[in-house]
Amino acid sequence: MSHLTSIRRRHFLQLLGAAGAASLAGCAGPGSQESGRQTTAAALSSDASGSMIFSHWRAEDQQVFDDLLTTFAKTYPDISVTQDIAPSADYQASALQRLRSGDTGDAFPTFRGAQFNAFADAGVYADLGDLDLVGNYPDELAAIGRADDIQLAVPYQVVFLDPVVNLDLLDKAGVSEVPTDWDGYLAMLDALKGTGVVPFGWPGGDTGNLGQLVNTMVMNNAPSDDMFTQVGAGELKLTDDWFLKTLGQYAELAPYMQEGVTGTLHDTLLQRFAKGDVAIIASGSYAIAPARAAGAKFPVDLAPPVTVAADEARYVGVHNATFLLGVNSASENQDAAVAWVDFLSQPENASVYADATAQHVGVEGVTYGNADLKQLERWLTADTLLAPRFQLLDLDVQAAVDQSTVAVVRGTSPEQAAEEAQAIVDQQIG
Amino acid sequence: MSRPPRSASSWRAGLRRDLPYLLFVVPAVALYGYFFALPVLQSFQYATTDWDGVSATYETVGLDNLTRVLGDDSLFTNALTNNLWFLLTVVVVQTLMSLLLAVLLVRNTRPSTFLRALFFVPAILSSVSVAFVWSFMYEPGDGLLNQGWSAIGLDSMRSSYLGEPGMAIVYVGLVQAWAHIGQLMIIFIAGLQQIPAELYEAAELDGAGTWTRFRHITWPLIAPATTIVVSYTTIQSFKAFDLILGLSGNPPSASLDILSTRIYTTYSDSEFGYAAAQSIIFMIIIAAVTVMQRRALRLSQQEV
Repeated sequence: MSHLTSIRRRHFLQLLGAAGAASLAGCAGPGSQESGRQTTAAALSSDASGSMIFSHWRAEDQQVFDDLLTTFAKTYPDISVTQDIAPSADYQASALQRLRSGDTGDAFPTFRGAQFNAFADAGVYADLGDLDLVGNYPDELAAIGRADDIQLAVPYQVVFLDPVVNLDLLDKAGVSEVPTDWDGYLAMLDALKGTGVVPFGWPGGDTGNLGQLVNTMVMNNAPSDDMFTQVGAGELKLTDDWFLKTLGQYAELAPYMQEGVTGTLHDTLLQRFAKGDVAIIASGSYAIAPARAAGAKFPVDLAPPVTVAADEARYVGVHNATFLLGVNSASENQDAAVAWVDFLSQPENASVYADATAQHVGVEGVTYGNADLKQLERWLTADTLLAPRFQLLDLDVQAAVDQSTVAVVRGTSPEQAAEEAQAIVDQQIG
Repeated sequence: MSRPPRSASSWRAGLRRDLPYLLFVVPAVALYGYFFALPVLQSFQYATTDWDGVSATYETVGLDNLTRVLGDDSLFTNALTNNLWFLLTVVVVQTLMSLLLAVLLVRNTRPSTFLRALFFVPAILSSVSVAFVWSFMYEPGDGLLNQGWSAIGLDSMRSSYLGEPGMAIVYVGLVQAWAHIGQLMIIFIAGLQQIPAELYEAAELDGAGTWTRFRHITWPLIAPATTIVVSYTTIQSFKAFDLILGLSGNPPSASLDILSTRIYTTYSDSEFGYAAAQSIIFMIIIAAVTVMQRRALRLSQQEV
């Protein structure tokens, strides 16, 4: 019996081994899946029809997209659109693989930066260059969605990654407007401190938000606008003077920040900002809508720190495209997808989206109904820099930059923090 | 003595005889092979490439990825160090606390049953919910812990918790332990209830005190339960991915980065081949730590 068992086991293992080897030899290993081939998007047609899937991660926008789809159906009765919503992290991790098949995501968004670049490299975008909808975006914004001079996507939502100030508290501190030079900025923080509030709230324990401040801190300090591209390429170092100066200025801001700043999350800081305990929240304009939802009634404005003298400033703030809209090159419903993106790109529809989400849009000619959007509208035409932090395409390099600012606020010297960060950059870029 | 070599004809005859029996296990083996063995084998294949997870082309780099993990990657080393601290915190706190609760609540009385249910509640929460709850507990400004310290006049104990680079991973370890103590307490209670009461009665007659009875009866006889608890806790500590991301965001700060989050970040950075190499090392580390722990436990329970 035991002999029989051992023979059976041996046969079984031999068969299993052979099957495993054969499977491995024939399995879909690296590179077995072909890259998508970039195509020119279908032309816009009023006769477009079919069922298309709009894949995205923006669950918070589901209702407004549903509302817009109701209007869309009146213009395009033969198109049915389904929203396929994945959590943000899942979308980041798996969207590309899913989109390449063309089975889902006839139209889709991507984050600016690493995700857009990866999708562009994989060829999942159809070329939108021949479509009129591109003309609805200012050229400098539309450029964000170009790769190798091909218009792959359009920047739909625009945010300002600048600190936001409670104007009532500013007024109470006797400051009429946000200063446009570094000394003036620190004097403003001193005046705010005198009123008993936290002058400058920074979510130093929140990796998703703490890095927004670096955008404005480097916008006038760096030797060029593509400073972080150059850091990623090894052409500039974090140990260079411009970044040491930036870190030194973080240290100057530290006394104005809240207790336990390096452990503070954005959500809790937001609650304190909404209650009027914190005068400035150093994240971005996307904080305004949740602050309103948390009960904030006071007027707000942007308060970007200009880190140089007023006459040396090249930029007064920073903007960014939160996401870009594209059409899938592998889609069999491209005409429907093009119709949907075109519809969203019309000012009257973009206006509905903007007011419902309380965020600006990249589309030109939009009339904003939301009071905060109106208040901040002038920043759309101000001298703002496209958020440079997203030039850092490697997450570890981005984290190294972010964590160097945290270290300085915690008390590490700028030199040491910069050296530690640069060591990680060197390791990552080889 | 080695077996004599078998001829090809006898091998074929054996195969003919065994084949009908082997067919019974084919469905199970096929499923296991396709959904488990094959992906694991593929990860070895990926680990020898520089594939970015997307491109149609890749280069074979041999063992370069593995040598990079073991030699030059300070981020991986940092994650490993954090993971070991996390493991130590969770294993010690979780095992001791769950054992203590099990000893206190082993009797099947109504209050014990109620308290067991109460301690078990965190185990049914998702890690994301646990992270959400504790992010507010650890909040330096108005968080419950700091408010508590201030309320009892111990302002010097106020901390930024997850913002303390040296201690952040320990604080996360305590959250992990909090969430799973009740679950492991149940395993210990099941183990304790298997111990014959006569042993305790005999020891009591011999004059053994509480500690002596625990050391010489309880501890050796709950060895199977302890092994399960420690092994489970170890593996769980290496895989505490969602709790870390929930408390820290993605990618986590350097002080909270553990091996699973490190691999995920590498994957997100489009270094699929390198992430596969990290996964292989990760698998070996878990296996090694688990084996070492089981041996240490066996020794400690044989000695008493």
